[in-house]
Amino acid sequence: MIVLGIESSCDETTAALVKDGQTILSSVVASQISIHADFGGVVPELASREHVENICFVTEQCLKEASLTWTQVEALAVTQGPGLMGALLVGLTYAKGLAYALKIPFVGINHLEGHICSIFLDHPEAELPALSLVVSGGHTSLFYLKELGDYQELSRTRDDAAGEALDKLSKYLGLGYPGGPVIDRLAPQGDPKAVPFSIPKISDGSLDFSFSGIKTAALRYMTEHNISRLDREASDPLQDIPQEILDLLASYQSSIIDQLLHRLKQSLKGREVRSIQISGGVSCNSELRRRATDTFQQQDLAVYYPRSELTTDNAAMIAAAARLRPGASDPWSLIADPNLALSATRSAQKMEKRK
Amino acid sequence: MEIQCSKSEEETLRIGEKIGRKLHPPRVILLYGELGSGKTVLVRGLAQGLGIQDPALVRSPSFTLVNQYAGKEGTIYHIDFYRLEGPRDFFSIGLEEILASPSIVIIEWAEKLLLEPENPLKIRIHTNADPDTRRLEIEGY
Repeated sequence: MIVLGIESSCDETTAALVKDGQTILSSVVASQISIHADFGGVVPELASREHVENICFVTEQCLKEASLTWTQVEALAVTQGPGLMGALLVGLTYAKGLAYALKIPFVGINHLEGHICSIFLDHPEAELPALSLVVSGGHTSLFYLKELGDYQELSRTRDDAAGEALDKLSKYLGLGYPGGPVIDRLAPQGDPKAVPFSIPKISDGSLDFSFSGIKTAALRYMTEHNISRLDREASDPLQDIPQEILDLLASYQSSIIDQLLHRLKQSLKGREVRSIQISGGVSCNSELRRRATDTFQQQDLAVYYPRSELTTDNAAMIAAAARLRPGASDPWSLIADPNLALSATRSAQKMEKRK
Repeated sequence: MEIQCSKSEEETLRIGEKIGRKLHPPRVILLYGELGSGKTVLVRGLAQGLGIQDPALVRSPSFTLVNQYAGKEGTIYHIDFYRLEGPRDFFSIGLEEILASPSIVIIEWAEKLLLEPENPLKIRIHTNADPDTRRLEIEGY
């Protein structure tokens, strides 16, 4: 079964062809191709209606790279939510149009379910039940994955996402945006114990995350220690960074990872867990990978991550998630939902057959 | 202009809730304040006052750009201009349509707004030497 996945919930216009929920035949991300040269389109800086300008080209490129024709596509999978309404609508409407024209089924997929499934593209051996952490610029949510398709949300962030906390400090310091990869690169040069950040206590004892406080604490530390922001005009902004900033970055990143690992460890209690799975943009952070693998190795738990190009938003994970609903087809009335909750996804999907 | 002082996150939340109770759509609320000043906390308070069922839904829209919640009197749009750069970005997130709809529209990082909407409520959050306190300047209330 060849599934065409389409994902346009935020900044990226993406399409991918996946065979049998496992093999990626092609995966195209608008910002990674030279759209300018080929059709005069634009690479959107942001989630946007510019998806409209890119989506046809991206999808056609995807078929070309897989050497397939439209008639070989057997089903469509498209992100239904959560995300930006206007952005989601572009993908969903386009997918419905294609499904109608090609007379093939389409299914709406939850973006977070896509991230969770990105693990299984490379690691079909990952054992369940699992703790599955989706951590990115827009999301930080922890799920108990009893079996594929059965998600229990254990916790989520109450304010900022972990990736957002990394991005914001980086931008504030003058190191650019997104800042996750920059901090990942610079942190090893700093002392992770130099600045004492603490893991926030959630008063009601829930497993929720919070990353807003640490951002404020970092800014306060800068004021108290007279640390000034970097000159953005410098020729290479990543060269000659003062040690105090490197220490701040290392401590900051380390504290964010502390919190993620702490919540994972807390969530192990009283649950049958056979593996830990971490997906989303922040899951390619090398320090997070190293420490998570070390931490859970002691408990004989394997930690799985997607390959790096599947950590950020991509359509292969959306196409892969479609294998959880074999033979299903959503009704034409399916609407985009900016707040689509994952736990609600399954119960809402009564596998309504299209008439 | 009204000045309110907050000594904690909880107090900022309560101030927001009090203001929120008096708001009716259509209304635009512009928020100003540095990184970490508590804008999202204030929005959670406003949303509570506007009758949102689950205040935990209110999270930072810096990455997602626009969050939507169901208030007692209709949709609450929670927008964040943090990542926006030029006119094209504002068009691109559908700002025109959102502002034309009969909704409550709350905008973080309103400093970046190119054209001010009519009759906005403006709230400026200032940080103080004491890191836990905030001074809120409320205008157009």
